[in-house]
Amino acid sequence: MSQKTVLQMPVNRVEGDLDLKVEIADKRVADAWCSGTMFRGFEQILAGRGALDGLVITPRVCGICGTAHLTAASLALDAIAGVEVPDNGIRLRNIALMVEHIQSDVRHGFLMFMPDFANPAYRKHHLYDEAVRRYEPFRGQAAIETVRETKNVLEIVAVLGGQWPHSSYMVPGGVVSVPGQSDLLQCLHLLKQYRRWYETRVLGCEVACWNAIQSASDLDAWLMEKEEHRESEVGFFLRFAQEAGLDAAGRGHGNFISFGSFDLPRQTQVKPARAGDDRLVPAGFARGIIVEAFDAEKISEHVSHSWFRDLGEARHPFDGETRPYASGSEGKKYSWAKAPRYDGIPAETGPLAEAVLAGHPLFTDLVTKSGPNVLIRELARLTRPAVLLDAVEIWLRETLAGDGDFYSPPGEITEGVGAGLTQATRGALGHWVKIEGRKIIHYQIITPTAWHASPRDDGGGRGAMEEALVGTPVKDDQNPVEIGHVVRSFDACLVCTVHSIKKGGTSAKMRI
Amino acid sequence: MSAKSTRIICVGNRLVESDNVGPRVYDCLARRDMPGDVSLIDGGLMGLDLLRFVEGVRRVVFVDALHGFAARGRPVVLDHSAALAERPARYGHDDGLAYLLRMLPAVCDSDLPEISLVGAESPIGPDVVEQLADLALSIATRGRYERGTDTAVDAV
Repeated sequence: MSQKTVLQMPVNRVEGDLDLKVEIADKRVADAWCSGTMFRGFEQILAGRGALDGLVITPRVCGICGTAHLTAASLALDAIAGVEVPDNGIRLRNIALMVEHIQSDVRHGFLMFMPDFANPAYRKHHLYDEAVRRYEPFRGQAAIETVRETKNVLEIVAVLGGQWPHSSYMVPGGVVSVPGQSDLLQCLHLLKQYRRWYETRVLGCEVACWNAIQSASDLDAWLMEKEEHRESEVGFFLRFAQEAGLDAAGRGHGNFISFGSFDLPRQTQVKPARAGDDRLVPAGFARGIIVEAFDAEKISEHVSHSWFRDLGEARHPFDGETRPYASGSEGKKYSWAKAPRYDGIPAETGPLAEAVLAGHPLFTDLVTKSGPNVLIRELARLTRPAVLLDAVEIWLRETLAGDGDFYSPPGEITEGVGAGLTQATRGALGHWVKIEGRKIIHYQIITPTAWHASPRDDGGGRGAMEEALVGTPVKDDQNPVEIGHVVRSFDACLVCTVHSIKKGGTSAKMRI
Repeated sequence: MSAKSTRIICVGNRLVESDNVGPRVYDCLARRDMPGDVSLIDGGLMGLDLLRFVEGVRRVVFVDALHGFAARGRPVVLDHSAALAERPARYGHDDGLAYLLRMLPAVCDSDLPEISLVGAESPIGPDVVEQLADLALSIATRGRYERGTDTAVDAV
């Protein structure tokens, strides 16, 4: 007879408040429940405020993806105003959002995900000592370099947007900043500096060399080709993760969603990932690697297992509401996160979803061969900057070379309905907005982590992380490092929380 | 950025009572005339992203909510070594300032400034807010806090 253990644990190194309950039987996760533990209420804060207030308030939803929220808020207002953003406005919006991605991708990798490799659970792993040297919190070489390099590259956002984080330089019709030549040259310098570090230390090769990898066998060959490849952070990650079995963990539903991002300027040398698209990163939904056309009308939010008033059926975010309701369904409702679904189906989002939907040959091959898993998810995140860095540089140079407008006046926004859909660093982000009498009468936000840390839906189906956790082996339930791998492979980001300094460090509760 | 400059950086979330010490002290100091070489910064929830504001200056006084150092509401000053000794387990947003302080010696791209941390455990009344503002300004202008200067303040 199998023995069942239930673990309830706050999860550290996700950005905010995530409680995870897992049932373990025969040393494997038999079931899982993800619970967001804090009500935010941004939708209520926004209702009744001025039409443009989302530009200032929504970047405060999150301290690490504020540019993505600003982008979504601006796109929604662009749609309502019916304004066309000039090419330079599009470029400056894209550049800042891309910089937000490329710094967050490595911060997540080397400050959040890889420290698990230095967990004593791996002390018998033949690369353990090297993992400690690289990733030990506060002392690991990669951790220190990451803080230094990301600090510098984020200056690009500050130069273009006035500050980081929580900038509000995007407005309907474009951007309010008009950088001078010296500003743009400074941005190019910062970008080159970051690229040099990323290529030398993270990839161990030039971006073009990495992007030439087309398949799993190419990846194996790349790893064997040079010492620089094996000793790079990506090379080390692959060697450690394969031996640790991370290519067999955290499979999940195998569905992917992207809202698409980075509108292409009308005149640009940047090519979309999928021919014919008007955005660099395509929108879409995929079951495995079978990609379907994206229809935003198929998005809905389920609240049957969330602490919100149940409207009897899942609603599209234009029709939904966010009304707290924490009683009456004891034992059933367990999260402050809603359960977003696409055509009623759960999905994961983020860098791997973007790669699959773009038809990226390497990740298409990897998913085909072994399905989504922890290793592939994290590899897609670590190497997404290789997809974006060329485009950032081209758009900086195009802005430098041109003299076009950055802003097109949208006129007063008095009423209308619009959605702003983009890709935040962690995946699909949407703002659905209704304006009436110059005021916001409706605002709904679906974040990437709502897709990932979703609770059960109306049909009882698990969210993406819950599903991915099922089957995860747990060798030691007092140090369930394997669960941490699965959760962190989604780069879950809940909310900023109380962060005051506590004597003696963090909470005594078990954290993973 | 002047190598002689001093900064008071107030940290916290004004919407959360247990974390609003820094913002309240910021509001208090913002109403006062600041000495010429002292700049006041609303650090909000920036955590690690405050690193830029710590580099290239001579002295930094952080103001934040503190838990467990003294009785609730009683002002506390952590000197340079005590502040840098605060150790969050690992990186996480909820360890913002503690993480920054712990990483600072390894990642600061200038001479390490003299660090002090001033705060109290919420809830605090307006009198304690004024007291913390006085403390922060005093340390910013005169240098480190001398233990025993004020019996109403605990020094760590």
